[in-house]
Amino acid sequence: MIPLAHGFVVRSDLPIPEWLFGWAAAMVLVVSFVALAILWPDPRLQEEGWRPLPRGLGHRLTSRPVEIACGAIGVFLFAVVIYSGLRGTQTATANFTTTFIYVIFWLGLVPASVLLGDVFKAFNPWRAIGRAVAWVARGAARGELPAPLAYPSWLGRWPAAAGIFAFAAMELVAANGDRPENLAIATLIYSALTFIAMALYGVEGWIERGEAFSVYFNLFSRLSPIETRDGVVGYRRPLSGLPALEALPGTVPLLAVMIGSVTFDGAAEAPIWTGIAPDISRFFQDLGLSPQTALEVTFLIGLIAAILLVYGFYCLGVIGARSVGGGFTASRLGGAFIHSLVPIALAYVAAHYLTLLLIQGQAISFLASDPLGDGADLFGTADTQIDYGVIGATATWYWQVGFVVAGHVTALTLAHDRALAIYDKARLAVRSQYWMLAIMVGFTSLALWLLSQSNA
Amino acid sequence: MSRNQRIGLVVVALVVAVVAFVVARPGDDDDNGAGHAAQTAPAQTETEAAEETGETQTETAPQEAPRPEVSRIRVRGGTVVGGVQRVQANKGDTVRIVVTSDAPDEIHLHGYDIYENVAPGKPGRFVFRADIEGIFEIESHVAEDAGRDPLLARLVVEPS
Repeated sequence: MIPLAHGFVVRSDLPIPEWLFGWAAAMVLVVSFVALAILWPDPRLQEEGWRPLPRGLGHRLTSRPVEIACGAIGVFLFAVVIYSGLRGTQTATANFTTTFIYVIFWLGLVPASVLLGDVFKAFNPWRAIGRAVAWVARGAARGELPAPLAYPSWLGRWPAAAGIFAFAAMELVAANGDRPENLAIATLIYSALTFIAMALYGVEGWIERGEAFSVYFNLFSRLSPIETRDGVVGYRRPLSGLPALEALPGTVPLLAVMIGSVTFDGAAEAPIWTGIAPDISRFFQDLGLSPQTALEVTFLIGLIAAILLVYGFYCLGVIGARSVGGGFTASRLGGAFIHSLVPIALAYVAAHYLTLLLIQGQAISFLASDPLGDGADLFGTADTQIDYGVIGATATWYWQVGFVVAGHVTALTLAHDRALAIYDKARLAVRSQYWMLAIMVGFTSLALWLLSQSNA
Repeated sequence: MSRNQRIGLVVVALVVAVVAFVVARPGDDDDNGAGHAAQTAPAQTETEAAEETGETQTETAPQEAPRPEVSRIRVRGGTVVGGVQRVQANKGDTVRIVVTSDAPDEIHLHGYDIYENVAPGKPGRFVFRADIEGIFEIESHVAEDAGRDPLLARLVVEPS
C-alpha cells in the first residue's frame, strides 16, 4: 500500500491493553451513573460570571503594542511557513513547514486554547494582515470604508466546517499532503479565499464564523477559564463559556467533522479499515484510476463515512431526546446540546495526538535553526534530537484513558445543565438525559475502542 | 433522592471503580527479569536460541543476558517476502534483526535511527537494545526514493 499522510510520525502508540480497555469502559459507565446520582436540580453553568483580570492586567494584555507584536509574530511565522515550504527541502521531516503546520499549529494550539483562552485570535496572521490593510485603506480613503456585507445567517459555521474538512483531507487523505511545497501552496490558496471573504464580510465578521482555524480554536478556548471580552482579558467559571455557544447553522456538521476526522485517523490503522481498504481501492483501480488516486479516493470515502457516522449518531440521540416530549424541533434540540460535544472532540484530539505533539513537537527545536533543511544553524539548535522516550507506553495509556473519561464527564455535565435550562419540567429533563447519556457513552466507547486498535 | 443516598451512590461507584482496576490490572510483577525474546510473527522465523526465563539458563552462556532470536526480513524484487513483518520485543531486550535483499538498499529503523546498508550477499544487521516503547517502522530508502511503499517491517516494543 502506498504510504499516506502521517509519514512523518516516527513513533506510533501501542494499543491500550485489553484490561485497561475493559476497566476504562467500566469506569465510563460508573461515572455516568454517578453523574445521574449527583446531578444538580437547577442549571448552574448558564451564567459565566466574567470578571476582568486584576490590576489592569486585563487591559494591558490587549493594548495596541501587545496586539501589534502578537500579530507581527503570527505574520512572520506565516511567511516562514510559505517560504520554507516553497524553497526548502521536500523531505517532510526535515522541513519547518510540515511539522509547524501539522504539529505546532494544529495540535499545539489546542492545549494553548484550552488553558489560556483564544490565543490564536491574537496571533492569527490573516486577521493581522486584514486589519493592517483596512487601516491603510482607511488612511488612503481619508475616512471610513464602505460597510461590509451582512454575513448571511444561513451560512453560519458552514465555511468553517468545510475548511476543517479540507484540512483533514489534506492531512489524512492526500498522498502528498505532508510535502512542504503542497502545504505552502494550500496555505496560499486558503489565504486568498480568506482575504476575499474578509473583503466581503469584514475582517472580524469572517474571523468569528467563517475562518476555519479561528472557529476551530475558538471552540476549544470556550473550555478555558480565560476570555477576552470587549478588548479586556478576564476570567470566568471553567466550562461556562461553552453554554454561550450559539447554535448557528453548520455547527453540528463542524463538530461531526472534528470528531469524525480523528475517528478516521484512528480507524485507518485498525483491522476494520485495513481489511476493506484494499478492496475498495482495487475497485477504483478497475475503473481506470491510478493506484495512488484509487487509494486517495478510498481514504476520502473512509473520511466521509466516519464523519457521517458521527453526525448520524448525534442525530439519533437528538431524535431520541425529542421523543420524550417538550415540544422542541429536532434542529432546536440538536443545536441546544451541540456544545456538549466540544469536550468530547477535545478528548479525541488529546488522546489520539498526545504523543505526536510531545515527540514530533520536539523537532521544532532543530527545524527552527534549519527551517529549509539546507544545513543552516540559526540558533545553534540544529543538532538537537528528538527524545523518543519522553513518555513511555504505560504513561501514554493512562493519559489517553484519563482524557477520554474527563471528556465524557465534562460532556455529561454540560448536557445535563442545558437540559435543566431548556425543559420546564424536571422529569422531562431527566428523561431526555437518558438519550444524551447513551450518546455520550457511545462516543466515549468509540474513542476507547479506537485507542485499543493496533496498527500493526 | 436524599443527600445521604447520593453520597452513598458515589462511594459505591468509587469502590466499584477501584475494585475493577485492581482486578483488571494484570500482575506486571510476574515477569520481572524474564526478558522475553524478540520474535517475528510470520512463518520464516529462524530460532537461534530458545526463549529463556531467568531461572532456566542454558549451558552456553550462563552469565550473559538471554540470547534473543534473530528476526529475518527478506526483500525480493522490491517487496518483503511474506508481507510487512512484525518484530516484537519487550523494553530492555537486545533485538537482532537481519535484513537481506536481492538489490542494494539502505534500511532505516525509525525512532532508534539506525541505518544499515544491504547488498546481494551482504545482509544488514541491526543489533540494539530496545529502550524506547512504541511502534517503529523499518523502511527501505530505495523504495521510498522510487515512490514505492518503503515499509518493510514494524518494530513493536512493549513495556517490560
